[in-house]
Amino acid sequence: MSADKTSLADSAPEPQRTDSVLQRRLTLVDMLDPETFGDVVDSLGELYRVGIRVQDTRGRTLADVKGSNGDFCGFVNASADGRSRCAALLARVNEGPLTPAQGPQLLSGVSPLGGQLLTVSCFTGLRYVVMPVVWDGDELGQVVFGPFLPEELSDLPPSLAEVEGVELARARVLAGRVRRMSEEKVGKMLAHVAQVLAALLAAGQKSYLTGQVHLETVLETQRVLETQNAQLMRLNQRLKEADRLKSSFLGTVSHELRTPLSSIIGYSEMLAEGLVGGLNPEQTQFVRTIIEKGNTLLKLISSILDMSQIEAGKVRLAFEWVDVQELVQSALTSVMPQAQRKGLQLDVRMPGTVQERVVADREKLRQVVVNLLANAVKFTPGGGRVEVRLSAIGQQRELGVEGYRIEVEDTGVGIPEDQRERIFQSFYQVDDSPTREYGGAGLGLAIVKSYVEGHGGRVSLTSEVGRGSCFGVVLPLEPPLSGQGPAYIPPPVDTEPDRF
Amino acid sequence: MQLNHAQRELTLKLVYYGPGLSGKTTNLRCIHARARPEARGRLLSVETHEDRTLFFDLLPVFVTSDSGFKVKLKLFTVPGQVVHEATRRVVLQGTDAVAFIADSRRSAGAENNAYWRKLRANMRENGLDATQVPVVIQFNKRDLPDAQTDEELEAARKRGGEPVVGAVALRGEGVMETLHALLQSAWRNLDERMRLSRNIGLTEKEFLSLIFQQLDLKGTGLEALYPLVEKQR
Repeated sequence: MSADKTSLADSAPEPQRTDSVLQRRLTLVDMLDPETFGDVVDSLGELYRVGIRVQDTRGRTLADVKGSNGDFCGFVNASADGRSRCAALLARVNEGPLTPAQGPQLLSGVSPLGGQLLTVSCFTGLRYVVMPVVWDGDELGQVVFGPFLPEELSDLPPSLAEVEGVELARARVLAGRVRRMSEEKVGKMLAHVAQVLAALLAAGQKSYLTGQVHLETVLETQRVLETQNAQLMRLNQRLKEADRLKSSFLGTVSHELRTPLSSIIGYSEMLAEGLVGGLNPEQTQFVRTIIEKGNTLLKLISSILDMSQIEAGKVRLAFEWVDVQELVQSALTSVMPQAQRKGLQLDVRMPGTVQERVVADREKLRQVVVNLLANAVKFTPGGGRVEVRLSAIGQQRELGVEGYRIEVEDTGVGIPEDQRERIFQSFYQVDDSPTREYGGAGLGLAIVKSYVEGHGGRVSLTSEVGRGSCFGVVLPLEPPLSGQGPAYIPPPVDTEPDRF
Repeated sequence: MQLNHAQRELTLKLVYYGPGLSGKTTNLRCIHARARPEARGRLLSVETHEDRTLFFDLLPVFVTSDSGFKVKLKLFTVPGQVVHEATRRVVLQGTDAVAFIADSRRSAGAENNAYWRKLRANMRENGLDATQVPVVIQFNKRDLPDAQTDEELEAARKRGGEPVVGAVALRGEGVMETLHALLQSAWRNLDERMRLSRNIGLTEKEFLSLIFQQLDLKGTGLEALYPLVEKQR
């Protein structure tokens, strides 16, 4: 409800936002462009040789053009009496709304814009016609047309003779220069003015309303987006905090688990080596099982710890000169026992010539290759084949620099296409059912990705379900930041706390 | 509603809401065609080049009672396309009653439901209490082969308290009846909440007569209720 309107019920809920333009009554000023509208009215006044003034209901003048009455009115207004009578008449016309009871006469017919045409006679005998501007049922203003000389006027009226200081003979001469018109002609001219005005108002109303509604729509959209953004930011903040807590929790727990587990393995090894006396074959077998399972558990815990360190942004790469051929061979030996147990064929293909050494974090890079190989061995059924290939050093298209490529190919179960992106995420497993066939925490590949990217390299994957997969890593000869000492692997999510 | 005591003027805002292409603009065009020129303004439409409503349509209808009280209706449509969600909310602000134009075809059921929920949500977001803004449902396109049967329409009527009107807006069928139900609901609601009748000195019957005597009701069931008054005011 507009501020200037009275409300019926004070209890009515107030709109929360400012009222839409659709709830407002438009004014002539809203709908007409003052400058071009003024030009149009000027040209009409020039065409008719009659004054035209357009005002809104608040008395603001939108256009005003003088007619052929200038000399005559100037002459009458030269006398003080004439000037004051003229001012009084104009004030009455301008203030509006006029009613026939106040003296003005009704002109036959209705205005093309709605409402009635009223004629107002001046004491000089000249005449005005006032046409209300009615739009969509609301009176928005008026057009004051004139003054002109009515056709039926034979001589200047006695009321002019009463004005002090006006010489009638001279007035008659000047009155001859004012345009003389019949009521019918005035009606036609006003119909024309009304048509032009209607066309301008229709166009103006449309563009004003659509412009304003467009603006309101944009503001409304922005308001909604801002609300949603604020919600998302709050949520994001909470998630970041939860993620940080998770990493820190995992780090602590893994550490706490690893310490007693190392003791379990250590003491079991001492038992197995007979340091506290010989064991019978059955006892030896039991102890070896404890050692083996303990090692499996230790690896799992280590990878959880590694991942939590990566996510907390605490992993540091210590770069040194590394012989990759030797590194791959050593990684191979660590998966050899499992491969042999499953009856897999383990192949290795190295470059024909000895390669120069590269810059890398030896331990991390070894873990990359071990993780890839362990993964391949785990997901390849007995009788299958796992092959690791090391390329010669050369230009690497993906990196745009010199580097090398390590690929691990298997004849395993393969990875469905829709999962290939996600398997590099922490804790993700292609088969996450409780009855899944393959164990593990789903961290091996996430660690590979983080370490490789920490070296400035890339991981890639091609796979065919049921036929096998090929994981590739391409690494630069020298990691981009290796010249500046040890580098930290940036955490995969932004866990940087707010500073401002 | 805007009530200006000084100028003795009441303005009601009525919004035609519904899925895209359900016939909201067609309803307004029909009302425009049937209203006496003295009692209506221009139908303002902002359309895309494919004749789809871009912002809204606006049809003003205005009448003056014998006692000199001016009643003005502002009939709006909202744009139906999904992307114009914010515009729908802007247009819906401060509405006194809503005509929900549904497409009767079975295939349009999901759309109708989606927009019905949108209407509820938009009202909430605008601070309008859905129980305080009356809604009238028009089942448009009754003539199409896939349209729901009268029995199904009856069942839909029973599922809620809103008046339900069948229509073929393109042929003008049901359009006046929908407007009648809409104005009646709006009046009753405002009268109950704000004592409108007493405030402006019009009964419901006088209010409705005032408007419907300005409309061509030929061929509708309303013709007998509002006989044409020969001399306009």
